[in-house]
Amino acid sequence: MAVTTHIHPLDKYLRVERLPTIYCPGCGIGIAIGAIVRALDRRIGEGVVDLDKVIWVTGIGCSARTVFYPKVDGAHVLHGRAIPFALGAVLANPELMAIVVGGDGDIAGIGGNHLIHAARRNADMIVVMITNFVYAMTGGQVAPTTPKGVRTTTTPYGNPEYPMNTIKLVASLNANYVARASVTTPHYIEQFFYKALGMKGFRFIEVVSTCPEIYGRHIGLRDPLEMFLELKKRVKYKPKPAIEEAEIDWEKGIIVGEFIERNNPSLLDIIRGVGK
Amino acid sequence: MKRIFASGNMAVAEGAITAGLKFFAGYPITPSSEIFEYLAEKLPKLGGIVLQMEDEIASINAIIGASWAGAKSMTATSGPGLSLMAEGIGLAVMLETPIVVVNVMRAGPSTGVPTKTSQSDVLQARWLSHGDYIIPCYAPWNVQEAYDLTIKAFNTAEILRTPVMVLMDQVIAHMWEPLTIYEPGEVEIASRKTPPPGLVPYPYGPSDDLVPPMPVFGRGHKVIAESLTHDERGYYAPRNEDYRALIKRLILKVLKRLDYIYEHETRLCEDAEVLLVSYGSTARTVNVVTRELRRQGVNAGFLRLKTLWPLDEEKIRRSCSAKKVIVVENNAGKVFMDIDRVFKDREVYPAPVLSLELPTPKEVLEAVKAWL
Amino acid sequence: MPYSDAEILAPSSGLLIQRSNNKFRVNVIVDRCKECGICIALCPTRVLVKSNTLFNRYGFRPPEPLYIEKCIGCRLCEYSCPDFALFVEKVSSG
Repeated sequence: MAVTTHIHPLDKYLRVERLPTIYCPGCGIGIAIGAIVRALDRRIGEGVVDLDKVIWVTGIGCSARTVFYPKVDGAHVLHGRAIPFALGAVLANPELMAIVVGGDGDIAGIGGNHLIHAARRNADMIVVMITNFVYAMTGGQVAPTTPKGVRTTTTPYGNPEYPMNTIKLVASLNANYVARASVTTPHYIEQFFYKALGMKGFRFIEVVSTCPEIYGRHIGLRDPLEMFLELKKRVKYKPKPAIEEAEIDWEKGIIVGEFIERNNPSLLDIIRGVGK
Repeated sequence: MKRIFASGNMAVAEGAITAGLKFFAGYPITPSSEIFEYLAEKLPKLGGIVLQMEDEIASINAIIGASWAGAKSMTATSGPGLSLMAEGIGLAVMLETPIVVVNVMRAGPSTGVPTKTSQSDVLQARWLSHGDYIIPCYAPWNVQEAYDLTIKAFNTAEILRTPVMVLMDQVIAHMWEPLTIYEPGEVEIASRKTPPPGLVPYPYGPSDDLVPPMPVFGRGHKVIAESLTHDERGYYAPRNEDYRALIKRLILKVLKRLDYIYEHETRLCEDAEVLLVSYGSTARTVNVVTRELRRQGVNAGFLRLKTLWPLDEEKIRRSCSAKKVIVVENNAGKVFMDIDRVFKDREVYPAPVLSLELPTPKEVLEAVKAWL
Repeated sequence: MPYSDAEILAPSSGLLIQRSNNKFRVNVIVDRCKECGICIALCPTRVLVKSNTLFNRYGFRPPEPLYIEKCIGCRLCEYSCPDFALFVEKVSSG
């Protein structure tokens, strides 16, 4: 019979019996979870968010296993399909607040179609895409965000394809909030998520992360600290960056910041008017 | 109650409304689009939501999410769409989510003939997704039954926390007949059990009927709807004891209610020497052929399956003592394989009548007489 | 001993390393650490060092707040720890 004591200030929001997390040493996903939970904590203190109404919906992958840890209603569904699941739940019960967390392969790869249409509809949910440029859980296959030339397990001669830029994709649709942060800037993850919690509609936050075991191995940065510091060097914050600056370039750098922030009517706003 | 003149598709929509449908997500596909269109107009006025999704995969996932948010939900599609929903159906099974999926069967394989009928999806409905599970499937043969069995599908889904399929041939979907619609008080409507608000530490734990109360979102239950094999807490449990217990419970919870789920109809079976078995639209023709055979001096009987899965094999065996059984269906011979197994000690013959339209009595008579 | 005020909270929670200066207390939940090294590298005043002697339940060596007198309470270690293994508290000035 384990005694589960709450020690860390965030423990009251976590399923502490499931700690330590499954994540590799130096994996940035835990940093993202911490930042999100801190933002939730602040909004709960302000009375803006009711923890009972939060649903944490994930697909499949390392980032999707974040659902194991926060002590909220959650759903661990199919690869790429967290967004339509969350859409159905929020429309059926508009009191629910959906947080969708997934990797770049889950959200922008197999889930790409759902991402496009949820952004188009300005569907009410916050999507956090934790980008590590590879399919890590299954061993390191190429992803739609993998830079050209990188050797992965399914592109052993170097990735022959150009990557997609998810920020640009989502920004071109009707999303209310499009931002990027990095696990090397945990305060920005928290700030952007805090802001998103006060908005409505489709809010998208990309969190560029470290993955020393898998992606780090592909690009020669296997040591957790080394990969973290190399990423930190390349990440640069800009207030109100332009969409053109959303390009991810390991040589030129990665801009983090809030690319789009607006207040268009959300899907729930519009649907509540139908049929009455 | 009210009497109207309706098509099979309209009847399914009305049945869903009577059963308490609150969320429909779908994608247009012939021949089921009318269900979607009828509900798109009617359901919002009753406080429900109808949404066209970007594809069938989004549709099935959205209705599972909606069900977890507390709404009775449904989608309607045809063969190609159902094939896309395969993974989603498995998700509904693993998450133990009440949903209804209507498959208006059309000729396949692949694109086939979108506007014409078939019965070739009857095994796909059972075995579509990977893994071990049992999904109840109902097959109406007229417009009134399309209404009644849709209500039954919702009730079955809610009582057992499982996805349920309604298999309606395109012929029934587009046929118009008089329909009696009930008010909610006039017909029994079941809803899922839910736990009292607050923490639920063992959401997949034991319960008398093997169906745990559904901890819907938003009530402080703090439950994870987990698609990985899980233990009673809903945590990933890749261990033999948890895996076996879970699969056993998922299957037994359905089989325990076989008496409620399984329905069939018999006609002229008491002294029959030849038994004709059929279901759905083809059964309408077989009904006529049974009487014709009697006129021609053959003691024919008729067994019509209303539930295509799971089958109450004992009840089927007791339905008729005829030594010769002929299974007539509008596909290459599918339910024949079950009937052959059920009537081990008798002669069972397949009479597959492939027809894009309702098989005619002449065609069916020819197919049956080949075995007489 | 570098962690003279270590406490055992409960047998299953394992060790908690706590060290304070007169303003801040740094806590390390020993069994949650995975030895990634991020907190040690990021601390702006170099409070933390990797333990030479303590191995946690999983074989990792957690950080020790050896130079606690330098801690300025910025909590960068707490925010950058991926494993909820580190947190910093304000000490009420006596």
